[in-house]
Amino acid sequence: MDDSHEDDGRSPVTAFIIRRLLLAVPTLFGVLVVAFLLLYVAPGDPVMAMVGERADEATIARLRAELRLDDPLPVQFGHYIAGIARGDLGKSYITNRPIKRDIIERFPKTLQLAGAAMLLATVLGVTLGVFSARNPGGLIDRLGLAVAYLGISFPVYWVGLLFILLFAVTLHWLPPSGFGGIRYLVLPALALGMRSIAFLARMTRSAMLDSLSADYVRTARAKGLREGLVVGKHALRNALIPIITVLGLDFGAYLTGSILTETIFSWPGLGRYVVNAIARRDLPAIQGSVLFLSAVFVLVNLITDIAYAKADPRVNYA
Amino acid sequence: MRCLIAICLGLLLSGCGGEGDGANRRTLVDSRDNYDPRSLDPALSTDVPTGRAVAYLFDGLTRFTPDAKVVPALATSWDVSADGTVYTFHLRRGVKFTDGTPFVARQVATSWQRVLDPKIKGGRGWPLYPIKGAREFADGKTRTVEGISTPNDSTVVVTLKEPFAIFPKLLAMPVASIAPDHMPANFGENPVGTGPWKLVEWKHDDYLLFSPNADYWGGAPKADSLKARIIAEPSTAVAEFESGNVDVLQIPQGDIRAWEEDAERKKLLASTPSLELVYVAINTTRGPLKDIRVRQAINHAIDRRVLVRNLIAGRGDLAAGVIPSSLPGSDKTRIGYQFDTLRARKLLADAGYPNGIDVELWTSTTPIYVRIAETLQGYLALAGIRAKIVQRESAAAREAARKGQTDLFVKDWYADYPDAENFLYPLLHSANKGVGGNVSFYSNPQYDSLVTLSRREQDETKRVALYTQADELAFREAPMVFLYFYSELNAIQPWIGGFVPPVIFNGQPWTTVTKTTAGHR
Repeated sequence: MDDSHEDDGRSPVTAFIIRRLLLAVPTLFGVLVVAFLLLYVAPGDPVMAMVGERADEATIARLRAELRLDDPLPVQFGHYIAGIARGDLGKSYITNRPIKRDIIERFPKTLQLAGAAMLLATVLGVTLGVFSARNPGGLIDRLGLAVAYLGISFPVYWVGLLFILLFAVTLHWLPPSGFGGIRYLVLPALALGMRSIAFLARMTRSAMLDSLSADYVRTARAKGLREGLVVGKHALRNALIPIITVLGLDFGAYLTGSILTETIFSWPGLGRYVVNAIARRDLPAIQGSVLFLSAVFVLVNLITDIAYAKADPRVNYA
Repeated sequence: MRCLIAICLGLLLSGCGGEGDGANRRTLVDSRDNYDPRSLDPALSTDVPTGRAVAYLFDGLTRFTPDAKVVPALATSWDVSADGTVYTFHLRRGVKFTDGTPFVARQVATSWQRVLDPKIKGGRGWPLYPIKGAREFADGKTRTVEGISTPNDSTVVVTLKEPFAIFPKLLAMPVASIAPDHMPANFGENPVGTGPWKLVEWKHDDYLLFSPNADYWGGAPKADSLKARIIAEPSTAVAEFESGNVDVLQIPQGDIRAWEEDAERKKLLASTPSLELVYVAINTTRGPLKDIRVRQAINHAIDRRVLVRNLIAGRGDLAAGVIPSSLPGSDKTRIGYQFDTLRARKLLADAGYPNGIDVELWTSTTPIYVRIAETLQGYLALAGIRAKIVQRESAAAREAARKGQTDLFVKDWYADYPDAENFLYPLLHSANKGVGGNVSFYSNPQYDSLVTLSRREQDETKRVALYTQADELAFREAPMVFLYFYSELNAIQPWIGGFVPPVIFNGQPWTTVTKTTAGHR
């Protein structure tokens, strides 16, 4: 522990990463405590969800005993923490399947969807933003503004259903829903990424407007640099910090919360898993997913912070 | 330029498509499951998607036909002792599980013991509780179930605690299906049964794929394969159906009118008298609701005809009692509570509430029930009943009702087996208060004894007469608002032959369903 905090031949970035990872432990523990307690306070008994519409008190009592739900809360929490320490997230009350396997099976699909949405957002959003900034008030700028309005104001389920109706049912270009090759990915990724495209386009535009009017851009132009290099290398690079912030936050949000998109497009990812688990009061599944998703969020934030340094050498981690 | 790119992209994507054409697809595709099955282990089948899949993979001693008749399956026949307590089931010979294991009587005993075993964590032992010693086994007091014996490989003798004439109907429920006694590890995902289909793969939250069991005793399925897709969002299922990617679609209750009024879509519809009662449980132990007159007033306050017409496009039989009209025991001459606001007000005044009453009207967030609750609120107000709508997510709402914390609760009840007992006993017998299904907390010794007698009665005519009497009593005492029996509506693609939507959810094994030649699109 002591050797983690200071340099001694280690690069400051490594020290920073280690410090942040250590800090993540109490954060995740806090998440765990809150998730655990909230679920016991919230109405809805997992055993009631298991037995369905018709049951009897004796069966319910037996199941409660079998699942150790009658143990005092601290004892239950202790068991749970001990399991986590062994890397065991427990088994689902409803399906009897190990939570870890369920997450491993579903997370890559959520990652794929979030990754595709971010890719679309970056390419379309940044491009739109850059071109809008180059000619403020021009055709592309106005188009970009319209896209931004629509993307930010329309809720994802509405956009999703609209895409299905237009591109799948009416035009037959793409399948309406399901999981498979790239054809199945386009519509959900676009629906999910709409908000980011819109946000990034506006963000990039304003950051680019700032940096395009900066002295170093004028200098670059004055020394006869080609316009493409001026915009791409000098102006855009300096506009990257806010863009990375938005990307990082949105990516984190997509990885942890593409519930509506996954539901509408029947995408078998982690979002739907969590919703089902909540509907059925499957405590171990909810707790395991919340813990896992929090860890993902922490990790994405860390990567974002590291990316700042890559984009802007002035960012300092000492 | 941008337009050009969009067009090119479109052409590119449409060029590599082709699977949208449903008539050329060889797999049958179902879209009715809206969440992933719990497991494929019959002992865990407590919900609809699970039960449906279990019915493809396994057989019980009996099974349901699509029109809800109970017919022999793994048992070819059975004898009942004169006192109605001993059932001798003669088993089908030469049946094999899909792994080659022969089906023998012993497996009936082991399968049912698993259902009752708390370690399996299934939670649905009640269909087997009529068997002598079943509860004791479930409580861990005995090592075997006293009432099940297997004198030879093709005979199972079941002794019941007391006569229960409809017992063979309960054995067609998915939970009573027969599994082999030596199970592969992880049986819930690697099921081995005697059913018409075999599991090919299960992609969680995506689909289950089945292939025909060529050796199925009842004749192998005619189609190449069957895919049960898991589609959470009803609008998405509709889009898949309209794109020709799925063959069967359950029409959401709120969308009925849109389908019936469209000439093209209307041709694809198939109506089924499903055994589903939509009602409002009145908690008979709370405040003014203890008074029969108040409960009758609530029933009189509502114009069910308008409600059924406007909310579900008329697809409901108005209920006058809890027994659906397609089941023996329903009294078709009984006239339901008529919409009469003045009479409702008078009943309330007679009960001592001339200024009306205040009640909480609970509903889950299911859209159709929310709409019903809002409609009821309006009608109740006319009669001086001030209903406050309490909306909760469905697990929370159900739990509150089971704990007796709701005044009125909008809900439904699906039959698990086609018999009036499946409505009379769980919904209103005092033994089932709370978690058993009686969230009206109705308790009437006369009603209880009528229902108990009917369960024991061997003679069908006498049993049905008792059903009618019990139903009549419940109707008069109004422990619920009798709304309607819903007729389920499905859409079936024109290229599908032989699919009859089942009355009971696990009653359609798809064995005789075929795809006709390509053409319609």
